[in-house]
Amino acid sequence: MPSLLELEGLRRTYGSLTALDGLSFSVPSGHVVGFLGPNGAGKTTAMRAIFGLTDLDAGSVRWNGSPVRQAERRRFGYMPEERGLYPGMLVGEQLEYLGRLHGLSAPAAAAAARAWLDRLDIGDRMESKVETLSHGNQQRVQLAAALVHEPELLVLDEPLAGLDPAGIDAIGQVLVDQARAGCCVLFSSHQLDLVEDLCEQVTIIDHGRLVVSGTVDELATSGARRLVVRVEGDRDAAFAGGIPGVAVSEVSAGQARLILDGSVDSDTVLRAAMTAGRVTEFSFERRRLSEVFREAVA
Amino acid sequence: MKFVFIGLILAVAIAARVLLYRRRQRRKATGVVGQGGPASVGEQEPQREHRRLSSALSGVLGDAGLVAKREIRERVRGRIFRIGTVVILLAVGAAIVIPAVGKGSSAPAQKVAIVGTDGSGVSSLLGEAAARVGTKVDVVPEASLASAKSALRSGAVDIVVDGDRRVLVNGPLDSNNTASQTSALAQSVAAALGIAQAYRAAGLTPGQVAQLSQARPVPVQSLQPTTKSTVKTTSVIGLVLLFLMLTQYNTWIMTGVMQEKASRVVEVLLAAVRPLQLLGGKVLGIGLVAMGQAALIVVFALVVAAAVGSDILHGTAPLVLASELLWLVLGYAFYCWVYAAAGSMAERQDQVQTLALPLTLPIVVAYVLAITAASSGSANLFFEVLAYLPPTAPFAMPVLVGLDLVSWWQFVISVALAIGGTVCVALLAERVYRRAVLRSGQRVRLHELRDRRQTRPAAP
Repeated sequence: MPSLLELEGLRRTYGSLTALDGLSFSVPSGHVVGFLGPNGAGKTTAMRAIFGLTDLDAGSVRWNGSPVRQAERRRFGYMPEERGLYPGMLVGEQLEYLGRLHGLSAPAAAAAARAWLDRLDIGDRMESKVETLSHGNQQRVQLAAALVHEPELLVLDEPLAGLDPAGIDAIGQVLVDQARAGCCVLFSSHQLDLVEDLCEQVTIIDHGRLVVSGTVDELATSGARRLVVRVEGDRDAAFAGGIPGVAVSEVSAGQARLILDGSVDSDTVLRAAMTAGRVTEFSFERRRLSEVFREAVA
Repeated sequence: MKFVFIGLILAVAIAARVLLYRRRQRRKATGVVGQGGPASVGEQEPQREHRRLSSALSGVLGDAGLVAKREIRERVRGRIFRIGTVVILLAVGAAIVIPAVGKGSSAPAQKVAIVGTDGSGVSSLLGEAAARVGTKVDVVPEASLASAKSALRSGAVDIVVDGDRRVLVNGPLDSNNTASQTSALAQSVAAALGIAQAYRAAGLTPGQVAQLSQARPVPVQSLQPTTKSTVKTTSVIGLVLLFLMLTQYNTWIMTGVMQEKASRVVEVLLAAVRPLQLLGGKVLGIGLVAMGQAALIVVFALVVAAAVGSDILHGTAPLVLASELLWLVLGYAFYCWVYAAAGSMAERQDQVQTLALPLTLPIVVAYVLAITAASSGSANLFFEVLAYLPPTAPFAMPVLVGLDLVSWWQFVISVALAIGGTVCVALLAERVYRRAVLRSGQRVRLHELRDRRQTRPAAP
């Protein structure tokens, strides 16, 4: 049976500041879910609430329908925003230790530590102290720490921040593979292009409330349809001005972006363009996640 | 014989250091070879040891046992810990050996001139007389009384024995002056010669006189079995060690908690274990290392003391040592929670120092008062009250034991109060820790922790 993390009506205030204001959403297994929101939206507080690291004024966190307790949390993996490792401890021993705290036997923890370090291309740093590693490699060790016990739920707060492209690819691939293997993966990021590439599903919050949630495809194709048209001889897309329900949103270097309302047939637009001149480009445009995000939190 | 023992101990210490050094070198070498490959034989050996300890601790205590095991490994592995232990052992060894060896070597042989031929067996009496006052003699034959007196005046000899008639010394003659070895020896020799004369007058042969002169006194036992100075020395050495260890181990706890908070690893840990398990494991792990180190020091002290015949094994001194060891455990148990709570409120070294100052105050006050009481050999009512208060009892109670001012039931009451106080402090400290350790950015103040809705992990 697929697993499901449910956050329901989470509320948390710090004095006069409301960090979470009735936040509810769910994370199904088998998907990488992007958790987005502007700074101070409540993402980190929500993630900490999953692990009991912050007290809730109201609401509940449920795993497969049951309240999350310590036994469940031991099967979760967490990578906090502010990285947390023992600087002077050896990488391999550190991962073994964390694996054991999550319920692995000593041999299983040692084997998993080595396997994950090899997988993340830092197997040769097993005997190094964490403080001697580069930022990128420390980030990989931190991810390995969240993964070493093969968690059923993976919660990662800004896992891609500060990584080079190779590091982003490596960690991104791990997240996708984990989801494919049946893990629930929830991660926050401000790198929206990367989120769009990695995630099937996105949840956007603002001021501690859910604003938008859905699959990337749904969000990209939701709202008014957009057309990109380039017509030789009509660089300003004057032809579109005569079609009811069509608006020109942007014209740049002979390429026009048109917004169609629901009543307009795209064939009508194509015919009008062909009448105006030779059509060299005519395509539907998906909304980029960054646009969805900006609209959602505006 | 003493030097053989000391040499043996030094040899063992050096061998242990060499062994540790070679093991470390081997581990380094295997670490390089083993990179990227399966664990080498050299790595497996310490891992097996750790696993035995781990399975024992984690089997009984679960996650707290795992936390404790990590603390033990990281502490014992630290260079500072190892060097510190060796330095303490050397200091303790020196504190025991120097007075004991000094005592034996402080009496140089007395030069005793015997005038004329030793027809009365004087030289055989000299050895016995010297042994009674704890010194040795070198016999110098002198042909005449005049030459003997001349040698005495010049300082070439210390005592002149004129046949069996009289004893001459150069210094002022004071029958009460027993502080001088020469004076004591002269009086001892004079007494022995007088007795020998009396024996001869009673008709005993010189052989019988010599036999009687070898008579040994029967042992004397006192109901007050030791001198106060021995207990005082033992008590003061123990108090100094108690103070150093207590402050050191508590500082470990405090900085350990602070570092976990500063490095944010506590957030990863508390995502998997309860705050009490984490804190309890840390306290237990460091406590076991501390007790191990303390036990090592005490055993070392006892072995060295036995080897050199130190006074610390006599009378009530061992009882004082045992009492100090027990109070080290109780003192650590009490203060470790306080320091852990304080550590959770800081995330920088300077903040830790600011917090440590008021916490160290009761320890310092109790320590100074205890040293004063131990040195003076008396305790006032205020000091006796301190022996029942958990923060000061670790220093005050062992001193009262040394001075024989408490009965067993008073001791038990003090221990019970300390245990009760520890439980209360532990409960309070766990609350503070739970609420403070996840709050970052600046030093947490106590009044900020009153609001239970501040950042803290929720109890599952």
